[in-house]
Amino acid sequence: MKEHALTLGEELRRQGISRRSFLKFCAGVASSMAIPATMVPAMAASLAQARRQSVIWMSYQECTACIESLTRSFSPTVENLIFNFISLDFQHALQAAAGDQAVEALRNAMEENWGKYLVLVDGSIPLKDDGVYSTSHGQTHLESLREVAEGAAAIVSIGTCACYGGVGAARPNPTGAVGVEDIITDKPILNVPGCPPIPEVMTGVLTSFLAFGELPAVDELKRPSAFFSDTIHDRCYRRPFYDMGKFAKSFDDEGARKGWCLYELGCKGPITHNACATMKFNQGVSWPIQSGHGCLGCSEPDFWDKDSFYKPLSAGQWGSAEGIAIAAAAGVALGAASAVMSRRNQDKISGGK
Amino acid sequence: MTLLDFARGPAMQIAIIIFVVGILWRLVGVWALRQKKDLSEARSRGAWIGGIKGLFAHGWPYKPFVSKVGTQYIVGYVIHLGLFIVLFFGTPHMLFFADIVGFTWWTLPGSVITFIAVITTAALFFALAKRLVNPVQRLISNFDDYATWFVTTLPFVTGLATNANLWPDYEFGLAIHLLSVWLLLIYFPFGKLMHSFWFVVSRYTTGSRFARRGGMA
Amino acid sequence: MSDTTTEMALDLEAKRLSVVDPGTRVDVQGEMGDEERVEKAMTNFAKDFGRVAATYMEACIHCGACAHACPFYEASGNPRHTPIWKIEPFKQAYKREAGPLAFFYKTFNLKKNVTLDELKEWQELLYDTCTMCGRCTLICPMSIDIATLVGMARHGMFHAGLVPHELYTVTEKAKREGSPLGATPQVFEDRIEWMGDEHEVEMHVDEDQADVLVLMSSIEIQKYPESMAATAKILNHMGKTWTFRTDGYEATNFGMLSGNTAWQKEMSMKVISAAEKIGAKLVILPECGHAYQALRWQGANMYGKPLPFKVQHISEFLSDAVDAGALKLKTVNTTVAFHDPCQVSRRGGATSAPRKVLDALGVKLIESKSGGSMNTCCGGGGGVITIHRADTLRYKVMGAKFRQLGETGAEMMVTSCSNCRQNFDDSGEKLNWDKTMNSLLELVADNLVEEAEK
Repeated sequence: MKEHALTLGEELRRQGISRRSFLKFCAGVASSMAIPATMVPAMAASLAQARRQSVIWMSYQECTACIESLTRSFSPTVENLIFNFISLDFQHALQAAAGDQAVEALRNAMEENWGKYLVLVDGSIPLKDDGVYSTSHGQTHLESLREVAEGAAAIVSIGTCACYGGVGAARPNPTGAVGVEDIITDKPILNVPGCPPIPEVMTGVLTSFLAFGELPAVDELKRPSAFFSDTIHDRCYRRPFYDMGKFAKSFDDEGARKGWCLYELGCKGPITHNACATMKFNQGVSWPIQSGHGCLGCSEPDFWDKDSFYKPLSAGQWGSAEGIAIAAAAGVALGAASAVMSRRNQDKISGGK
Repeated sequence: MTLLDFARGPAMQIAIIIFVVGILWRLVGVWALRQKKDLSEARSRGAWIGGIKGLFAHGWPYKPFVSKVGTQYIVGYVIHLGLFIVLFFGTPHMLFFADIVGFTWWTLPGSVITFIAVITTAALFFALAKRLVNPVQRLISNFDDYATWFVTTLPFVTGLATNANLWPDYEFGLAIHLLSVWLLLIYFPFGKLMHSFWFVVSRYTTGSRFARRGGMA
Repeated sequence: MSDTTTEMALDLEAKRLSVVDPGTRVDVQGEMGDEERVEKAMTNFAKDFGRVAATYMEACIHCGACAHACPFYEASGNPRHTPIWKIEPFKQAYKREAGPLAFFYKTFNLKKNVTLDELKEWQELLYDTCTMCGRCTLICPMSIDIATLVGMARHGMFHAGLVPHELYTVTEKAKREGSPLGATPQVFEDRIEWMGDEHEVEMHVDEDQADVLVLMSSIEIQKYPESMAATAKILNHMGKTWTFRTDGYEATNFGMLSGNTAWQKEMSMKVISAAEKIGAKLVILPECGHAYQALRWQGANMYGKPLPFKVQHISEFLSDAVDAGALKLKTVNTTVAFHDPCQVSRRGGATSAPRKVLDALGVKLIESKSGGSMNTCCGGGGGVITIHRADTLRYKVMGAKFRQLGETGAEMMVTSCSNCRQNFDDSGEKLNWDKTMNSLLELVADNLVEEAEK
């Protein structure tokens, strides 16, 4: 763990990265996060002075896709160096250690960096029945999160599950799953929702934390405003077709091939806040809508429970068949009541039949 | 739950329940009333034919009245047809109904719908201005007339605003637009919007009553 | 009931139904508390309330189109004369007390209780400015039969003791003496005899058996007695067995006009009983619009079962006679404008009858701009002509009517309603009209080809 002593600048020089490309990287991050260009030199200077940051990654009720997404994007770029530069002290899917050894590593990291370490969380946390539905090393994730969070400088929730409960919290939510922000209330929390989230958003957030020592500005859902202020629809390359009223009617029709809007096929782009349309995935290779499918709205809270993915936004949500049946029965009963009441009223007013 | 989820889910469900039950309540409440049978000897049989004719005869004023109320009828038609076209041939609207009935149909381009909506809204404002200025209409108007105007016009205004991206975001606009429509549905059974049903009942009633006599209505 | 109203002496010499001292008015009848009046108004209004009236109450969209079909609004330009406004308190009461949402309006007090002052204010609208001609129904996009609603509102007004002075006077007189204009059975008999002598026609009175019972309106008995002679002449010409009956002759029904259903029934039952007694197959109504409404369309409903005889307006009878070739008529070489009585044509359905008769007379009929079933009312029906308070506006309405008839350029004016006719006579004198309104019946009678002439 000697590397902790090196600053990021020293580390970059050691790896032969030029100052020029480092500045370029800083400018890129700054622009993606809406940091004024005049701030770039200061940001670069501050970032170069940054020490290795201890990061503890806790995985709870999750599917590993978040970490897959992040690792799949790794290639030898400056961005990846940020990931390389941090000291990922605990990540049970990636680390070699297991069992008691791994827990030991976690305890050590927490002790050494108490009050300063950054916690990344993926996966939701079950609350029901004291959280027994998801445990690691004999400890419920609920307890684990509380323990780890206590000494954290800040928490970043990675993926929709950690942010809002996500898939785990989908109806009927048998484990009582929730996101981090529903449990931890006394620490700075930042949400990077998405299923999975965009890796570059993570880079930006980490860079910003390293450079300024605090989390970037967030919106009302604790998402970094820089990436989540626009909707998919706002930035979608198919938007001009929406404005022209040209819609694909099925996933393989002429319109779909011509890149027409997928609104009629249930695209949730207009109500989904994320940067997919501009940043894309896999180093800008593609993203769901580009591959021909409507947006599922995966970065929004409760996206599983917003009715069918293939139902257009303007269609209603009708609830259960039982509910409709009950409403219909009540309607008929009230109709009959109306008839009885009106006759009775007629008799009363006219003084008999 | 976001505003849009509320608008698409519970708000819609409540509004539709009030809409349907309210309409039933009011229609049944009137239809259940007893009506004394007319015992007079009918001049001609088949009064129902007169009832059917009555439905159409009052769709346009008789000749002596055209100069007096023709414009009013035209404005009325613009509003009603505009409402009908926008409601059933606007793509997002069609999709709402398609979700219920299970099939889609041909719709008009967004720009055409926008144009029709603008014309309809203008006609609605014209009708309001006339109601405020014309001494007869002003006298006989009550809260219901203005409330009806308001709940009818609001969805047009919110819809156009959503279409023109005048809201902070689409989601909010869509939610507001939906809520304005639910307001219309909730108010519907309580006011004169019910004329969408009564006009059939009333025209048929008068048409058949007077056909029975051989008179004119 | 109150003495003041019956004390009012009728002026039988005037051109129209009139009182001797029109300056003194008592427009409230009976001794009742304010609340009782309002309650009576509402109960009696609602008495005949059924599906049809409720539908009409629900259907109004307040478009105001009806104003433009109303001869009174057109003449006055006063928005208060908008037909649907005339029943406003009753509409309000319906919504508050009777409609499907009554509990809602009442609980939240969204529709106020109707007050006596309002009802008093509306007396003028319900009686002075509405003849129940039903022209407003034609223009209404919802096809609302406002005239029927006004009739129902009058039921309420009558029982609340809120009938205009003169209308109440004649109604009460009709109830007491059997005729609103003092045409008692004795007077009736005397006049029949007089006309029989004067015109040398054979009269039939109080026959025990007859196929045809002929009714007369008191307007005719008192002002246009030639009608009696004319009818007799035609029936004799056709060889019908017919009779007048002193126990059932009055065709007018002021019970209906003023709004007392019980009296309406009593008045109708008199003639129905007389017709039953003599085994009549046909009852001929005189040239009177509302009489047609009262017996032809409401008679059976008063009787409680279908009438055992046929009811015809005299114009229908003449039309059938023309069809059957039973009338030999001379050709009258003139142009005619025909004023349709609303209750017979638009609301009665006998629009084509007088036209067939005029055609048989060989005259050239020139229809006015809004003629036939769309005819503009003369403004005298529904009891309006009795009310002095309504005179100014009634003359204005008639002014428009004169212009409309004048535009046809016809030489001769014909109608088949003696109430319209007295309105034309009265207003014609007032407005110096250069024409006279003639009776279709008399025109036919005057042009019969007598046996001897053949």
